[in-house]
Amino acid sequence: MNTNIETFKYDNRVVRAFAIATVVWGIVGMLVGLLAAVQLFFPDANLNFQFITFGRIRPLHTNAVIFAFVGNGMFCGIYYSLQRLCKARMFSDFLSWFNFWGWQLIIVSAALTLPLGYTTSKEYAELEWPIDIAVAVVWVAFSVNLFGTIIKRREKHMYVAIWFYIATAVTIAVLHITNSMEMPWSWMKSYSMYAGVQDALVQWWYGHNAVAFFLTTPYLGLMYYFLPKAANRPVFSYRLSIIHFWALVFLYIWAGPHHLLYTALPDWAQSLGMVFSLMLIAPSWGGMLNGLLTLRGAWDKVRQDPVLKFMVAAVTAYGMATLEGPLLSIKTVNSLSHYTDWTIAHVHSGALGWNGFLTFSMLYFIFPRIYKTQLWSTKLANYHFWLGLLGMIFYIVPIYIAGITEGLMWKQFNKDGFLQYPNFLETIVHVVPMFQLRAIGGTIYIIGVFMMAYNLYRTAKAGQFEPDTVAQAPALEKTAVPHGKYSFHRLLEGAPMFFTALAIVAILVGGLVEIIPMFIIRANVPTIASVKPYTPLEVLGRDIYIREGCLGCHSQMIRPFRSETERYGEYSKAGEFVYDHPFLWGSERKGPDLAREGGKYPDAWHYNHMDDPRSTSPGSIMPRYSWLLTQKLETDSLPARLNALRKVGVPYPDGYENGPAQKDLQAQEQKVVANLKQGAVNTEPDREIVAVIAYLQRLGADIKAAPATTASK
Amino acid sequence: MEEKIICSINGVGIYGVISICIFFAFFTGMLIWAFTQKKNYLDKMGNLPIEQNDKNSNDNL
Repeated sequence: MNTNIETFKYDNRVVRAFAIATVVWGIVGMLVGLLAAVQLFFPDANLNFQFITFGRIRPLHTNAVIFAFVGNGMFCGIYYSLQRLCKARMFSDFLSWFNFWGWQLIIVSAALTLPLGYTTSKEYAELEWPIDIAVAVVWVAFSVNLFGTIIKRREKHMYVAIWFYIATAVTIAVLHITNSMEMPWSWMKSYSMYAGVQDALVQWWYGHNAVAFFLTTPYLGLMYYFLPKAANRPVFSYRLSIIHFWALVFLYIWAGPHHLLYTALPDWAQSLGMVFSLMLIAPSWGGMLNGLLTLRGAWDKVRQDPVLKFMVAAVTAYGMATLEGPLLSIKTVNSLSHYTDWTIAHVHSGALGWNGFLTFSMLYFIFPRIYKTQLWSTKLANYHFWLGLLGMIFYIVPIYIAGITEGLMWKQFNKDGFLQYPNFLETIVHVVPMFQLRAIGGTIYIIGVFMMAYNLYRTAKAGQFEPDTVAQAPALEKTAVPHGKYSFHRLLEGAPMFFTALAIVAILVGGLVEIIPMFIIRANVPTIASVKPYTPLEVLGRDIYIREGCLGCHSQMIRPFRSETERYGEYSKAGEFVYDHPFLWGSERKGPDLAREGGKYPDAWHYNHMDDPRSTSPGSIMPRYSWLLTQKLETDSLPARLNALRKVGVPYPDGYENGPAQKDLQAQEQKVVANLKQGAVNTEPDREIVAVIAYLQRLGADIKAAPATTASK
Repeated sequence: MEEKIICSINGVGIYGVISICIFFAFFTGMLIWAFTQKKNYLDKMGNLPIEQNDKNSNDNL
């Protein structure tokens, strides 16, 4: 029997800092989302100001909500629960604060650079390379702190929540580094190392698993800690939680390709993604039921305690979202849902319901405890709950309707075999009222968050902050155990590093099986003889397309359906994207696909359309891009850009960037200017619009120019 | 066509075989492990978060 009782202190300061950051960034991120939502039915809400235009603030919204709101919430919950589960203070106060301030600095950099147009364009990985490095450094600091605390713990056993935290730490590191491989061409800009199909596969392997290991696993860890804690009863089945953990981390990583169904991604990868997504229902629902059944016999508490109310709704939303996700991964369902607002509804049931509500419950739980008081107003928290729920319903239901309507209208043929709605605009105008309702739902949800902020503020005012909670526990003894007494499980718990290694293997297996075949030979992507690298002017235009976030609304990937080939032209082939660093397939259509845009309209049409989309397309919800008409095209960095592209594999001849490229650039500029003149538009050749038009006119032109002869090596 | 391309990678078939083997071994092992855990151990683990270990703390308010 160990009598060596140690006294130590839990660090509440860093928990409080993360908690406040969670609330502040949550409000910011959601307000940016609301601004984006309003622009979808009132495009002039950007005040013709490029920095707050939809294409640029959409990634700001997603990054803010994922990495700032949920990120800080995750750190807050982990720092609170880990210390208590390990019966130890965090390994290093310095690392705790490095983690905190580093993360806030990253968020501020994101909030500045994304509106300025510094983006890689890869969804949820938009931040440019210097910030990517900062993310990696801060993440390492967090991981060292996490593992350090686990190693010096006083509790012999590692509770399942800690397993989820470990999986989060290692997997996010692997995902972030793999997907952020890029070739810088300036201090803030880079090109993806991967091209086309490879880039798409790596990106969605990342994108899907960012959802899995940033929005799901850490929050499941929090659920396994805070739910039993708030209900004051153990988790329904600890055995089920073990199965939940291993099955989830093993299966999740395979499912990424379900974001690319019916695209130019090889069929085997698509099928793999779909099958594993369906299997994910089992562990996800196992986890949900485990959470809900924990409350068996305690449902009376749920009626009174807002913490439990939020948790029950959060876990239910988790169950709904993880049932819907696999269903959306079925190719037939996906053919209808992909590119529509259905996806937006799906992610928001997860974000508002699962992440939002679990964060709120955690904050309502933590604040009174670290301020040594009761929650200021339980009534207000209950109002927040009902308002949040109402907001969520008002948000999600109209967007489901919008999504399904879009999908059906895009696919509808009339009795003569022609598209019923050949003009894309018709379909989007039809769902604008749903966008308006959605904004109302979002507003209601945000009002609830403001109420929570006020409630927490008053709670803090009423109580007295306890910077350190004193605790006591016996030191962890290294007792000699006779040979053979250790079970495999105890071995795992006793050696967190061994456990971590196993978790890494579990997540890597799926990733490697998918990605290695794509890397082994380039011939995996059949090249198309007529597809050539972009010209210098097109490269510049493409970079502006990326800067403005055009892919937030316009895909460049025509799926092999008659409804799509009728509307847009020949379906997209893998070989068309071999020079696309990064790929720009997009995931959402608020406007038509642009993969075959080249040659569809005269240059002057594009000019007028960019100046005021409603002048050429009445009713369009596209914002004006009038600044493209006046801003001067930056060409000084052209050599650096071409050089970087050559380094990642685009076959520009040696020395091309020093001289010949500039000549080609000017010649093409003049050509565009001459074309514009024919359409009664006069412009200087050195304006950004010229490069954008050149790029748009190139899209799909290679395929149109020559019959699609594929030549695999 | 894609099948042909994939098959042209030397030994790509082994990926499918390896995958199914790993998958089967992983789940079998995990289930055996989970179901051979002792009940008192599982109870103890389940109770870990709700144990009171803070001195004068209001953690369990």
